[in-house]
Order: sequence, then C-alpha cells, then structure tokens
Amino acid sequence: MLVFLRQLGLYFIMLKKVFSKPEKPLIYYQQTMHEMVYLGVNSVGIISIISFFMGAVITLQTAYNTENPIYPTYLIGLGCRDSIILEFSSTISALILAGKVGSNIASEIGTMRVTEQIDALEMMGVNSASYLILPKIIATLLFNPLLTLISIIVAILGGWLAGTTAGVITSEDFIYGIQYAFIPYYITYSIIKTLFFAFIITSVSAFHGYFVEGGSLEVGRASTKAVVYSSVLILLFNVILTQLLLS
Amino acid sequence: MIRVENLNKTFDGRLVLDNISVTFETGKTNLIIGRSGSGKTVLLKSIVGLHEPDNGEIWFEDILFNNLDFEERKKIREQMGMLFQGSALFDFFTVEQNVRFPLDMFTGKTLEEKTERVNFCLKRVDIINSNKLYPSELSGGMKKRVAIARAIALNPKYLFCDEPNSGLDPLTAILIDELIKELTEEYSMTTIVNTHDMNSVVEIGEKVIFIHEGIKCWEGTNKEILHSDNQILNDFVFANSLAKQLKSTENNNSV
Ligand SMILES: Nc1ncnc2c1ncn2[C@@H]1O[C@H](COP(=O)(O)OP(=O)(O)OP(=O)(O)O)[C@@H](O)[C@H]1O
Ligand SMILES: [Mg+2]
Repeated sequence: MLVFLRQLGLYFIMLKKVFSKPEKPLIYYQQTMHEMVYLGVNSVGIISIISFFMGAVITLQTAYNTENPIYPTYLIGLGCRDSIILEFSSTISALILAGKVGSNIASEIGTMRVTEQIDALEMMGVNSASYLILPKIIATLLFNPLLTLISIIVAILGGWLAGTTAGVITSEDFIYGIQYAFIPYYITYSIIKTLFFAFIITSVSAFHGYFVEGGSLEVGRASTKAVVYSSVLILLFNVILTQLLLS
Repeated sequence: MIRVENLNKTFDGRLVLDNISVTFETGKTNLIIGRSGSGKTVLLKSIVGLHEPDNGEIWFEDILFNNLDFEERKKIREQMGMLFQGSALFDFFTVEQNVRFPLDMFTGKTLEEKTERVNFCLKRVDIINSNKLYPSELSGGMKKRVAIARAIALNPKYLFCDEPNSGLDPLTAILIDELIKELTEEYSMTTIVNTHDMNSVVEIGEKVIFIHEGIKCWEGTNKEILHSDNQILNDFVFANSLAKQLKSTENNNSV
C-alpha cells in the first residue's frame, strides 16, 4: 500500500514536470510531429487488421446467435455497428495500443534512463520529463481519435464483407441496419474514451520508463509493467466512463 | 574554480561519499582517481547536481550551486559540458543533431551558424564525414569523441568527463586524454576527469585526488603521486606494472 502511494505520488510529480512551460515551443512542435508518425501513423496497419477481423467475427457471432425468423436480419448490422462503436473500436484498440505503443514508450525512455541520456538532458538544463514525454502525450491525444475512427470504419467494412460472403445477411440489410436509429453521440462517447485511454497509455508507460533503475533487465521489466498497468487502468476507466457517459 | 566543501552522500543509509572537501582549479585538468565503486561517478554527479548531496557545499566560483533552484541552476549549467561514462549520445539523433542539440536548446543562432559551430567542434575532435551517422553506427572511441564535441558545443567554462578513455585501446585513450588537456588549456576551462587509468594520471594529472571507499585519501600532482607514502594510494598506483617500472627507473636515476 505504501509502495502504491509512493508510486502514485511520483506519477503526479512527473506529470507536474511534464506540463511545465516548454522552453523552446518550436522544438516541442517538431518532436510532436515526429511522435505522431512514430506512435500514430505506424499503428494504422495493426489497428486496421485487428478491426477488420473483429468486425467480421462480431457480425458472424451476432448472426448465428439470432437465427430467428421473427428477428429482422438488418438488426445484425445494427448490433454490429453499436458494439463496434461503443466498445470494440475504442477499448480493444486501446488495449492493442497499450501493448504496442506502451511497451515501446517504456523501453525507449527506460533505455535513455539507464544509458544516462536523461542525465545528459538534465545536465544541460533541459526539463527531461517535459521534453521526452509531453510530445508523446500530445501526439497520441491528437492521433488516437483518428485511429478509433479508422477502426470503426474498417471494422464495419469487415463485418459487411464477412456477413455477405457467409450469406448470413444481404448487403442491403446490413447497410440499412448500420444506418438504422444511429445515435451520433455514440461516436463522441467513443472518442472521449479514446482520449482518456491515450493519456493513460502514454503517461503510465512513460512513468515506468522514466523511473527505471539498473540495466537492460529492468528496462524489460518496466515495459512489461507498463503494458500490464495501462491495460488494467484502461479496463477500469472503461467501466467508470461508461457509467458516467451513458447512464 | 569549483570548490567542494564537506560533501556527504548516502544511498539508502549507505554512506558513499564521506566528508569530501576539494578545490578544482581553472585551466587545469583535475583528476579524480580511485577503484571501481569508490564513488567517483557519484562525486562528479553530485557536483553537477544530478545527485542531491545530503549535506555540504558546492561552489562554482563564488556561487553556491546546491542552493539554487532549477531555473537558477540552468544559467550555470549552460556553462557546463559533460562526458558521461557511457557517452550518453541521444540515439534517435544523428551525430550532427547530437552536437547541435545544446545549440538548438539554448541559443537563438541560425541554422548556418549552428552547423558551422557543429562542424568546428566535430573537426576539433577529429570526427569528419560522419555527420549523418547514428550513434549505433559509431565505434566506442568515436562515440566518446562525439560526446566531447557535444560537451564543448556551447563553449563551456566547466568540463566534466567520467572515464573518458575506459574501454578504448591505449593509443586512442592517449589521444582523448591529450584532446581534453588541450581543450582545457585552449579555453581555460575548469576540467574534472574521473579515471582509474594510471596512464592518464601520468599524462594529464596536473592535479589529482584519490578517493577510497568514499573518503578522499590523498591529493597532489602526477609528479608527486609516484613518491607518496600513503599505503592505500601506493597499492592503487603500483597495481600497474608500468608505474612500478617508472618508479624503479626514477629511483635508479636518482641513486
Ligand atoms: N543511484 C544509486 N543508488 C544506490 N547506490 C548507488 C547509486 N549510484 C551509485 N551507488 C553506489 O555508490 C558507490 C559508488 O559508485 P560510483 O558509481 O560512484 O563508483 P565509481 O567510482 O564511479 O566506479 P567505476 O569506476 O566502476 O565507475 C557504489 O557502491 C554504488 O553501488
Ligand atoms: Mg563511475
């Protein structure tokens, strides 16, 4: 318990350092653009692949579980759309990103710590926490909503393709279903969740990397911890946010 | 001039630096020597403020450094250059970007001016035609030299080198030592070098302090070090056969 409180304290001290005024805004801007490509654009591929198959499976599952003549088939499209937008595209994507981006951030920053690169920054009078972490946070906050939108589109596409190829639903019914009683707020809700998750992934992973002590072994451990802690926090906040935003 | 007074540093209750007082002189290469684990790196990092000492004072000229806050320290830090034990080059930057980094962060120079300065510093440490390489593509000795170039980019008044020549072949090691000494004289810097290499001591040790288990045991010059009667120091110095020979030939000559 004491260890936990200490960690929590350290985490907020780090955040305070991260959000202090940048020394050279231009350099931070360049770093942010760089991180956007590195952490964001490079994740488009994996997110697309996963979303595609996720959408496909959800459609088939919904179809096979609702094989009932009085149940109109367009509802398959509707159910598929809602579960993708509400849960899968934001939460599952976040969990995937926690694995990919989180471990990446923790090991990058952790390596910089154990090879004295962070010392070198501090030594020069650079606020290392802010310089290293702020661009990553801003980049993921800006880019991850886009990833979620991509995920939603690709997943629905995957659902459509799987559903029509397997013959469980006609193309017309599916398209009718995904348009039927559409609530735009669900998209907003999904984006809000994504923003929270992006912040969790980046800051928690950076925290684990930033305070590494030791050598490459500890860096490895830190990146595992980063993934575990951010995943658990994502699931926890998923419950909290769902309660707050949809009740 | 850098003055350290009664410096103590503990880690988790374990005393690592025990009441160190020493003055490092301007325009000279000041050496901190001692066995592995004796506290050299901790001393150097305490001086530059990367470790907070438990108590004691660190003076840069007439400024009490360890009382300053982050912003005030920054002004002095801009006058410091440091070479870390493992070079600590930023591995996401090229050689050129590494050396340019302090200029980017702390000067308002144009890109041409900065590039000119970068090339000057790199030439000074004999790194040419490697501007676009990444640290992972350099040899250990080249990394150290690039790190020196980065350390001198802002024309520092104070230069700190943590084992600049460990892990290098003897010839490269001597070249790096000489480079540090030349730079120190050329820009009349206050230079502190950590080392356990007796060659460096003999070559560039204008002022030497010897640390053993966190205690300053001895202080003097490279001329005096071979004739000390401090037993712990002698054990350290004459572990090296070259130094042994040097001493015996000197004794023979004087007989
Ligand atoms: N961050 C730290 N936390 C705890 N103990 C530390 C820390 N840094 C150094 N020490 C301890 O302080 C002592 C001195 O270490 P230091 O790195 O200064 O040795 P050194 O003289 O530089 O050795 P070397 O020549 O091998 O580099 C060691 O016993 C080390 O275990
Ligand atoms: Mg050391």
